[in-house]
Amino acid sequence: MKEVFMNAIQIENLIRDYGGGKGVFDVSFHVDHGEAFGFLGPNGAGKTTTIRHLMGFIRPQSGKCTIDGIDCWSGRDKVQARLGYIPGEISFFDDISGTEFLKFLEEYRRIGTCSRKAELLERFELDPTGRIKKMSKGTKQKLGIVAAFMHDPDILILDEPTSGLDPLMQSRFVNLVAEEKEHGKTILMSSHMFEEVERTCDRIGIIRKGRMIAVDSAAALHERHTRSYTVTLENETAAEAFAADFDGVRSGIRVTVAAKQSLEEIFMNYYGGDKNDQHDII
Amino acid sequence: MISMTLYKREMKGSVKLLVIFGAVIILYVSIIISMYDPEMMKMLDSFVDAMPELMAAVGMKANAADLLGFMVSYLYGFILLVFPMLFCILRGNALIAKYVDKGSMTALVAAPVKRRTIALTQLSVLLSGILLLVFYITILEYICAGSGFPGELDLSALLSLNFGLLCLHLFIGGICFLSSCIFSDTKYSIAAGAGIPALMYVLQMLANVGGNAEKIKYCTFFTLFDPDGIIVGESNAAAGAFLLFAGAVVLYGIGIMIFDKKDLYI
Repeated sequence: MKEVFMNAIQIENLIRDYGGGKGVFDVSFHVDHGEAFGFLGPNGAGKTTTIRHLMGFIRPQSGKCTIDGIDCWSGRDKVQARLGYIPGEISFFDDISGTEFLKFLEEYRRIGTCSRKAELLERFELDPTGRIKKMSKGTKQKLGIVAAFMHDPDILILDEPTSGLDPLMQSRFVNLVAEEKEHGKTILMSSHMFEEVERTCDRIGIIRKGRMIAVDSAAALHERHTRSYTVTLENETAAEAFAADFDGVRSGIRVTVAAKQSLEEIFMNYYGGDKNDQHDII
Repeated sequence: MISMTLYKREMKGSVKLLVIFGAVIILYVSIIISMYDPEMMKMLDSFVDAMPELMAAVGMKANAADLLGFMVSYLYGFILLVFPMLFCILRGNALIAKYVDKGSMTALVAAPVKRRTIALTQLSVLLSGILLLVFYITILEYICAGSGFPGELDLSALLSLNFGLLCLHLFIGGICFLSSCIFSDTKYSIAAGAGIPALMYVLQMLANVGGNAEKIKYCTFFTLFDPDGIIVGESNAAAGAFLLFAGAVVLYGIGIMIFDKKDLYI
């Protein structure tokens, strides 16, 4: 049982320099077993590059990525056996239908009878019979979700998994991730959807220009960015109404209201703090 | 060592091309073999006399001694070189580089399948296609010659000739496969995979013209395939075929190694 004491996903001092300030520089973080980790950052910050290393697609220039103690580059086929992956940009074989593609993957991965395909297709109301080439972005995304979850992997690496989904499907996806977490799955989810990360992840890492600028629990990030105000009102009736309107806590004629910054605002704090970096936000 | 699921999928992808090239080859082979006729040979020879450079460039020489010599002159200089070569170029590029370029390689590598297995599977698909084409050519030639000119064709010489042809195409396939493994961009994979064999073929055409240009033959691997030498059992011709075969194996090995080690930005 020594695995239990090992981090499910571990990235140590990962460096990949593409030149011109692009790439990832000295990125380190870990994801525990059974934990959901949100990986936030704007476009081009290095989220996908980090994930490519975890998937064993590219070799670190220096540093190390391991999943359950197995090196992500040299042991990639072993790592892949337990991994579910949604790529940031879905691009499947477009010469065949979704049904054929899922069947191909079942056989290619040798999933056999334990496939969750039917259940997932139903959950996301996906009809995979059409040719992939003709599918809309959202439908392809759903197909990607089914493909990533159908072999019931222990570890999920999801690169902007809800892009292209409508709000209803986004919320179904968030529910799916929450269920998987309850079942003890380890999840790394990159996103710029603050809402879904807030709802699903225990800890959040923020990456900017290839460097991790914050890694903390979602709760702590909130805590740090919560301000509360106590307001004294004229009488109890006014206080009661005020408390009801502003979701505050009343004691006598005093009402305490908390202004929670959304994760988005927290995010902006990290990103917008430096005036010289204004162009990065856009 | 290979993934049968992937192999089946890719062989389906080869079918269309194989059918097209099969149809083109049956057309040429049957027509050319049926043209074997001493009278007609005289006419073709007169073409060769009239424009020796042009005819030599496409590998057609005068005075082909017998049916097989006739076939060597009129089939093994152009048609049976170029069509299987086109197959190698098109499939070679599609098997690896196209997947990487389009990003659908993700589906193949994001699974508990070794990259070497993927590359080896794709290579087997290419090799199966080449084998099928050469096998088909052999059967076709045997049937056409047997029905038109019974007893004229030396079967064992035909088999060694087509074994040499197979070695040549395995080598060309090696070039296409290697360039597909090296380049992550279809543009460059096609440029190298098609450009190198095409350039070599053009050099071979120049060398065939003879004269001073003959020295060019040392610059092209097509020289290693010597149909005339093979049918008379020359040891140099056999060595050439062996070199092509050995070279092909080396190219495959390097290709698989490169794909195994390369960074995939998918």
